[in-house]
Amino acid sequence: METIGVHVDGVSKRYAHRVKGELYAARDVRLEVRPGEFLTLLGPSGCGKTTTLRMIAGYEKPDAGRIRFGGQDVTDLPANQRNIGFVFQNYALFPHLSVFENVAYGLRVRGQPDDMIAKSVGDVLALVGLAGYEQQFSSQLSGGEQQRVALARAIVIQPRVLLFDEPLSNLDAKLRVQMRQEIRDLQRRLAITTVYVTHDQEEAMAVSDRIAVMHQGSVVQEGTAADLYHRPASQFVAQFVGRMNLVAGRVAAIVGETVNIAALGTLISTPLPRRDLAPGDSVQIIVRPEAIEIVRGGDEKTHSGLLHATIVSRTFLGEKIEYSARCADEMLQIVRYNEGPGALIAEGATVFLRFAADALTVLGQTHREGRE
Amino acid sequence: MSATVRWKAATMGMRNDPAVAAAVFVLWALLALFVVYPLAMLLVRVLTDQGGFTTAGLAAVLSDRHQIRAFGNSLLLALLVGSAGTALGFLFAFTAARGQLPRWLLTAIDVAVLLPLVSPPFTTAIAMIFSFGPRGLITYDLLGLKGVTVYGLASTFFSEVLTFFPIAYLTLRPLLAAIDSNVEGMAFSLGASRWRVFRTVTLPLTIPGLANAFLLLFAASLADFATPLILAGNQFPVLPTQAYLQITGLFDLRGGAALSFALLLPALAVFLLQRYWVSRRYYVTITGKGAGQTPFDSISPGMRAVLLAACALVALVVVYFYVLLLYASLVVALGANHAFTLQHYRTIFTDGLKAIRDTLIIAGLATPLGGLYGIMLGYLVTKKSFAGRRTMELVSMINYALPGTIVGIAYLIAFNDPPLELTGTALIIIACYIFRYGPTGIRATVALLQQIDNSLEEASQGLGAGSGATFRRVTLPLIMPAFFAGLGVVFIRSMTAISATIFLVSISWTLITVKILENITELSLGPAAAFSVLVVVIVFVVIAIIGRVLRLFRAPGAVPMTSLLGG
Repeated sequence: METIGVHVDGVSKRYAHRVKGELYAARDVRLEVRPGEFLTLLGPSGCGKTTTLRMIAGYEKPDAGRIRFGGQDVTDLPANQRNIGFVFQNYALFPHLSVFENVAYGLRVRGQPDDMIAKSVGDVLALVGLAGYEQQFSSQLSGGEQQRVALARAIVIQPRVLLFDEPLSNLDAKLRVQMRQEIRDLQRRLAITTVYVTHDQEEAMAVSDRIAVMHQGSVVQEGTAADLYHRPASQFVAQFVGRMNLVAGRVAAIVGETVNIAALGTLISTPLPRRDLAPGDSVQIIVRPEAIEIVRGGDEKTHSGLLHATIVSRTFLGEKIEYSARCADEMLQIVRYNEGPGALIAEGATVFLRFAADALTVLGQTHREGRE
Repeated sequence: MSATVRWKAATMGMRNDPAVAAAVFVLWALLALFVVYPLAMLLVRVLTDQGGFTTAGLAAVLSDRHQIRAFGNSLLLALLVGSAGTALGFLFAFTAARGQLPRWLLTAIDVAVLLPLVSPPFTTAIAMIFSFGPRGLITYDLLGLKGVTVYGLASTFFSEVLTFFPIAYLTLRPLLAAIDSNVEGMAFSLGASRWRVFRTVTLPLTIPGLANAFLLLFAASLADFATPLILAGNQFPVLPTQAYLQITGLFDLRGGAALSFALLLPALAVFLLQRYWVSRRYYVTITGKGAGQTPFDSISPGMRAVLLAACALVALVVVYFYVLLLYASLVVALGANHAFTLQHYRTIFTDGLKAIRDTLIIAGLATPLGGLYGIMLGYLVTKKSFAGRRTMELVSMINYALPGTIVGIAYLIAFNDPPLELTGTALIIIACYIFRYGPTGIRATVALLQQIDNSLEEASQGLGAGSGATFRRVTLPLIMPAFFAGLGVVFIRSMTAISATIFLVSISWTLITVKILENITELSLGPAAAFSVLVVVIVFVVIAIIGRVLRLFRAPGAVPMTSLLGG
């Protein structure tokens, strides 16, 4: 079966809200999912990611815009004619049917002969590691097993597009990590074009080829996990993908391709991010907690150019240690790998901080968005 | 967001379905004919005279001292039965839910509690007369009392409590079972005594359920016709029996209608309270992962023994009554001649054969139709969107909520004249059963469908099934338990009801329950007891069959039906 891409072209969905009047669940959403690609829609609850997914599936009809599978416009096609595989958050296994019949359902609807169904179902159950579970019912299965049945049921029909709606949110932490790896491996092996919805940024980064971050009904940034993490286009993305320190500053000078920003009581130099910055502009610097290096010992003279700070608290997490440091009246979160018992820094210690220069992101004030 | 999603799913693509439109039209026509029209005719009969509006008829009835007393008596009896029955139901429910009883004991409690629910209406009344009447086994033979009278408030009250407390039990037990025992354990660990935990945690969480149970019992007692007819006597008239006597004794249809109308107001008040007030006050004790823990032992061993003894005592009384009934059906004349005989059974299978045959035919027709009506209406009002959806559900509940006396008199008035002359036919009785007891199936269907997430139907669609295939392959199998619950209730009630149908029987079509009443008034208690035993046996057999079929349909994962009897 040929692999096709999914094109979401300016799709909007409005709904009537009892108090706020008409709201957009999705607003002019544009997405290109390449053939065989794993794209994740990431965002907080209410951002429109599930609505977008359900429109791709055909469970919701967009008020505006078109959706195409490959060259075919499917906007007006009901879900049962789109040939999709959908995995629900609650799995939606048919409680009155056995595992076998659940998986066979789509094939029976397609009128396939029994012997072919038996073979396909057997193959796919083996693929998800559930061989031997044919006669069980969903109530007898663990969460992870139910998840696999839902997955098997979705892929056995060889869908053109595989869609996941927060499939792992009902599993416990360890199983979540295991299942997301299995989903990823399976998707690679079958090379099915996949759209995946989650609010968990770590999960999104672990499974996706590309991630589209959604906020208030729109896609605000699209890119690989590394793009989003290292080059967030807005405070919202920076805040949602990973953790960050947000430091206010002012452009002091621009020298060639470098900008000097007055912040934290000193001057911080970083490559010029945008052409439209001018001296005097207010900016925000985003610093990832792991991009701050702690330097112990020495004094102001030996460490000129470094930031002077006091360790306020320390959280020991085994492989890593989280510190809170006060630096020019701002609190900074710092994460360091645990390099051994000798490397622990006591609370109250005076230290110097160094920012990794290429790990800083500078945003102009215009990028400011409301915190959620 | 999920609310809008649900709303969208409900409206999407279903609006222009001609099959749905046709079904809605047919159901509205039936509801108009068999629910709205009779009730309207009743109101017209009560409130008009020779074409003009008048409250004279109503005023005449309501100013009659005797009838005012009947009204007061009805309310008093309902209040007492409601309170005592709720307390008794709570005792059983609490013991069953918290007593950590062995399985066989729970089954025993269930059976003892179920018996009164599936019995014909006069069984406890007959047993009361056998035990406490002038020649009663207990009053006369055991205690040697002479000249005692069994008739009056006390025995009516006692008999109704025994008949109706199972309703409270069935309402309260799931509620108590649903309270997370960790919540009680938490209170206990904070230093509260068991009694204090019960008083400050368990009981407050059960209050909406208690209110609900009280209202259900209040309504049941208010509407009860059979028990007071036998046991209340002249000294304690109540409205349903007065209405009946007004019509059958004095041939005053209008007066009877006016009396039944007086019942309408408290019945309606209770129905609305129950539907719009109590049902919104249920607490949901949200529990996380809590399976597999040892439940908090909320009662001390001593208290457990006391509770068990109390339950055993009540259960013993129930069982004693039924054993007595069986015994009475097998001796010549209980209290006078205790020689074994099968004469009573011979009588009911000869003289009474017509009643048995009629009842079975009527039940046999009403049951499938009522079950079908229940799931159709329940499915439409939950899953489809059409104008007047809520109204349809409400209207469908009217005949179920009103006392049978009102429904019976309304049918009698509405269908007595051409073009809708149905009195004297089996159809009028069948229609009465369908629209009066079918709503249990509606409720079961609605409750089941609400538990079934929309994503199941969406999953089916996503896998390529159209709406027809989805209904056939997913929705229908899932609501089958509700269908059978509806079947069960309609059948049980078709075998045991009397309050409405006593006005609708005729020479051509009669019923076992009516025959029992005739026997009692003729003082031939032996055949009455034999009939009662027969009904209990038939009902138990049919319930067992339905239960067996239900098990076939219930895959291990299917949504469990709480009770065949619904509520």
